[in-house]
Amino acid sequence: MTTAAWMEALLAAPLAGAVIALISGRRAAALVGVVTAFATAAASIALAFAVSRSGVLRYAVGGWGRPLGIDLYVDGLAAVMVAITGVVGACISVCAAGYFAPKPTHADLPSDKHDRAWLYWPLWLMLWGGMNALYLSADLFNIYVTQELIGLSGIGLIALAGGSAISAALRYLLLALAGSLLYIVGVELLYAGYATLDLQQLRDRIDANPSTFAAAALMTAGLLAKSALFPLHFWLPPAHGHAPVPVSAALSALVIKTGFYLVVRLWLHVLPGLAWAHLATLLGVLGAAAVFWGGVQALMQERLKMMVAYSTVAQVGYLFMLFPVASVPEALPGALLLAASHAAAKAALFMCAGSVLAVYGHDRIRSINGIGTRMPLTAVAFALSGISLIGLPPSGGFAGKWLLISAAFAAGAWWWAAIIVLGGLLSAVYLLRALAFAFLEPPIAGFGRAPWGMEATSLVLAFIAVGLNFAARPLSELLNAGAG
Amino acid sequence: MTADAAALDILLAVLLVFLVWRLLTLSDLFKATILFIVFGLLLSLAWVRLRAPDVALAEAAIGSGVTGALVLDALRRLGAHGAVDEARPLRLNLARLSGGLLVACLGAILLWSVLSLPAGWRGLSAEAMAAMPHSGVTNPVTASLLNFRSHDTLLEIAVLMLAVLGVWTLDAEPKPSAEPAGPILDLLVRILLPLMVVVAGYLLWAGGHAPGGAFQGAAVLAAGGILLHLARPFYLGNHVIIRLVIGFGFAVFLAIGVMLVVGGGRFLEFPSRHAGTLILVVEAAATISIALILLALFVGNVREGAGRDAP
Amino acid sequence: MTTPIVYASAGVAMLCIALFGFLTARHVLRRILALNIVGSGVFMMLVALAARPDPPDPIPHALVMTGIVVGVCVTALALALLRRMFADEGSARLPEDREFG
Repeated sequence: MTTAAWMEALLAAPLAGAVIALISGRRAAALVGVVTAFATAAASIALAFAVSRSGVLRYAVGGWGRPLGIDLYVDGLAAVMVAITGVVGACISVCAAGYFAPKPTHADLPSDKHDRAWLYWPLWLMLWGGMNALYLSADLFNIYVTQELIGLSGIGLIALAGGSAISAALRYLLLALAGSLLYIVGVELLYAGYATLDLQQLRDRIDANPSTFAAAALMTAGLLAKSALFPLHFWLPPAHGHAPVPVSAALSALVIKTGFYLVVRLWLHVLPGLAWAHLATLLGVLGAAAVFWGGVQALMQERLKMMVAYSTVAQVGYLFMLFPVASVPEALPGALLLAASHAAAKAALFMCAGSVLAVYGHDRIRSINGIGTRMPLTAVAFALSGISLIGLPPSGGFAGKWLLISAAFAAGAWWWAAIIVLGGLLSAVYLLRALAFAFLEPPIAGFGRAPWGMEATSLVLAFIAVGLNFAARPLSELLNAGAG
Repeated sequence: MTADAAALDILLAVLLVFLVWRLLTLSDLFKATILFIVFGLLLSLAWVRLRAPDVALAEAAIGSGVTGALVLDALRRLGAHGAVDEARPLRLNLARLSGGLLVACLGAILLWSVLSLPAGWRGLSAEAMAAMPHSGVTNPVTASLLNFRSHDTLLEIAVLMLAVLGVWTLDAEPKPSAEPAGPILDLLVRILLPLMVVVAGYLLWAGGHAPGGAFQGAAVLAAGGILLHLARPFYLGNHVIIRLVIGFGFAVFLAIGVMLVVGGGRFLEFPSRHAGTLILVVEAAATISIALILLALFVGNVREGAGRDAP
Repeated sequence: MTTPIVYASAGVAMLCIALFGFLTARHVLRRILALNIVGSGVFMMLVALAARPDPPDPIPHALVMTGIVVGVCVTALALALLRRMFADEGSARLPEDREFG
């Protein structure tokens, strides 16, 4: 099959799966969901191979072509993001199949929720389809619609947890809506200026004037709010901390990356013509602030899930340190490798927290003694994903940080490198604190049994996070295949 | 342009801005909501003045009509205690002042962009007109929505479905106290309901060549359902029939898109000979689904005998 | 030529007032109303833009109609969440806004 066929499949399959899951209802939704998940994941990997073989592709949906119609566009960057989503998404689906099974086994999902648990599947598949559509889109307004698709399904998924997740979902909704509106104002300004919504055409036509700067600033502000970059991170910990475990994993690992991707796309590919050194520095400074603020907050958390959620605030910060050093060729592969390993490690950590919740009935860090002996798989998964988040070798986190640090030195800006190293130390402190309690003996007499699906998936994801250590070279090649 | 028309435009614009100011500062949220609905209706008038009758219909039916009904219903369920907002939005402090300054800067730049636009701005109107003969319809807005930018519209119908799914994930709400419908409402339902079905059908059919289309038709149908619900409250639930109808429009749209790929074309590439028929099929299916979706959003997640009482 | 400019300017004014209203409001319902109006302001700028050429540019019309429908979806979900939160917690404000008047 060709690149175009894989793109069609990646758009249509999750959406078709979602509507089939919706219609088939409680009994068959999970089956439809898992089958669709594996098919979509396979297509994501196939797309990456197709792009590395035959390069970028532009695809005119409806046959009209830009500027009248909507074009899809896949290059190395988009293919990498789709592939990350595919692999991690498949793992999350396996975990969810156990989590949302008809038998109520989880402390954080009240039993009266279980007659509605099947709604997870249409919502999650829509979310996935929205992410694929976002990464593959080359049209500013189409990207807005995909963001709304992602936002609304994410909100529905958070609300599945009920209770205090409702106000978290409402806060997330208001913020996402405000962010979308700022984005749309930017789209209006760009359409007024250049009479096109196509990213490539905008790149060719763009010139520096106040209106273009305002558009860029508004769209960036809207996207930063959605990617929870400090100081717009406040909505993330409650939303990701209170959602059901597979939802937290999907939101923290995958959805956050869509905002980051769009900022990269916008500034590196659409607006490279604007002189934006100051803004790049600002993004880097905010990223550095996020690393420290998120790290310190994570250290102060009492609950494991909240700690993992605050760790996302910090990890988002590293990604944005790409921008001040983006002119160095190693920087983008470094940031993407960090994004990929964070996706795998963070999904794994949320699942570890979920396993702990299932066994202990709570996730208070001070009383999780004995995980090491009672749940060895979870303990190993926790430790391995921790290694990647801290950035110790060998792991994807290490390889990504290494590339970013070399980029910082190549750009003559050693201070970014220093912040990356210090941030790694900070994450080491909060992760080791939790691990220390986990290995304390004796184990507290517990009640539940570890859900094997969740434990096994977290281990697989943790191994992926570690294995990404060796992905730097193929990733750079894929990005270059896209550029060439 | 005559001076009268210019005066009308300025009056309407000032009135709109004034309404926005009022409804954001009134402490009684019920009054604010009424102003919001009036604002929506006046907005439709502005769309007409801007030669956008399709947008005007959509605004009146969905933007003002359905949204207004939803907000009023939410206010009713919040009760007298929840409908008062004691916060005074105009008391200034440092945060508000800096927020206000930022917004003012934004306004200045936006105004600059409006005023600096060249007089001969054409947008994509020439491209759209050139493509019209191949679009299968003669209304350019319908052509844009369902052919040129059909991918947006497909995803938009997905967003509609998601809203219902989101509402279904919430705990069921207590049944609102049912008051018997008055004779006037009953009569209204009897007269209006058949009329609304006819109007919806007309809007759907007219969309191809005149202002109208699936969304407006669906909103009128949904309004009929809401009226019926007000007269005799009913509960939709999420049975298989309901789910089937809700997913139907999206499924048909997506299936047509995929079948065109299987037939050797591109995704959602309507062959120009059959484009008119395909668009009508998609719109008809979407109308039914969207109408039920809007109605389900209004009825909400109420189940008989379910839910805790509001405090 | 003046009609589009008049309405576009009104759109800018609506957008800015409503954005400020969103930032200062505490009651979630008012925040939802404010965001709806921010949307209307942007849409007004877009439709005013479309009214400049003759015949009007249909693409912004299509964008605005998509935006209106997406807007009603988000509003409906927000109102449902608000009702749920009010029933559970007895307040129509987000937890961080409940302390002071």
